[in-house]
Amino acid sequence: MTLENDLKHALRRQAPAPGFAERVMQQIENQPEELRGTPRYPRNPVWWRAAAASVTLAAILGGYATHRVVEHRRGERAKEQVLTAMRIAGEKVRYAQQEVRGIGTAD
Amino acid sequence: MTAIVPEAIEFSAALTRAQAGDHDAFAELVERHEAMVYSLAWHFFNDRSRAEEVAQDVFLQLYRNLASLETEAHVLFWLRQVTTRRCIDQVRRTRMKAVSLDDAGELRAVDQRADPFLDRRLKNLIQELPELQRAVVTLRYQEDLDPSEICRIVGLPVNTVKSHLHRALQSLRKKLDRKPEKQS
Repeated sequence: MTLENDLKHALRRQAPAPGFAERVMQQIENQPEELRGTPRYPRNPVWWRAAAASVTLAAILGGYATHRVVEHRRGERAKEQVLTAMRIAGEKVRYAQQEVRGIGTAD
Repeated sequence: MTAIVPEAIEFSAALTRAQAGDHDAFAELVERHEAMVYSLAWHFFNDRSRAEEVAQDVFLQLYRNLASLETEAHVLFWLRQVTTRRCIDQVRRTRMKAVSLDDAGELRAVDQRADPFLDRRLKNLIQELPELQRAVVTLRYQEDLDPSEICRIVGLPVNTVKSHLHRALQSLRKKLDRKPEKQS
């Protein structure tokens, strides 16, 4: 016999004293409710994962939509500013033309 | 007519029922794994009452953590890991001497060829190993696990596990006065 075989023999599984499972269940029954931690949370972890994935996806999509709206508003504001600047510039040009014409007629 | 239910499906059903709070289903899980958990602790401490105590605590912890476990393989891995770590932690905390001097005296005189005595001698020699070597040897020879599987349970690199195993075998051979065997 090799040492390894001897070890396998010496360390083979042995059953505990009869009634072990009952003793464990008794201990569980004797635990206060708050310590017992009876499963009332994810009974099916797959569903909880799916729910978590859905929430994450919704958060990502929501974030993206908000980002798009903010970008759109920023673009609109920039466009308005450009139009205002052009209107002001146009008025100034018109005023300058009037002034130039006025100088011409005064002569 | 009897229906043949594959063990894995049966286990999965028991696990699901236990997760839903069915105590009978949880008792089924305990019965299925009690020998493995109890033996890991018994071989680690060489003390039946302590092994029973550790095994009961491990199953109480399993009860509280049922929700996080999904498959039989996961439950098996979890039980091996928690039992082994609990044993190592306990021995590190108490540093108790598991073998009485009377037992040791009696064992020195026994015939190595007689199996029951050799078993007993080996168990006592295993108690003299440092706790990590003891855990690795128990997982290797009780559970028939490879170093790659043991390293996940004890949380050490595979080479460290191999080294613990090698040193443990070397030490046991020396104490049994055996020559090294060829590696298979």
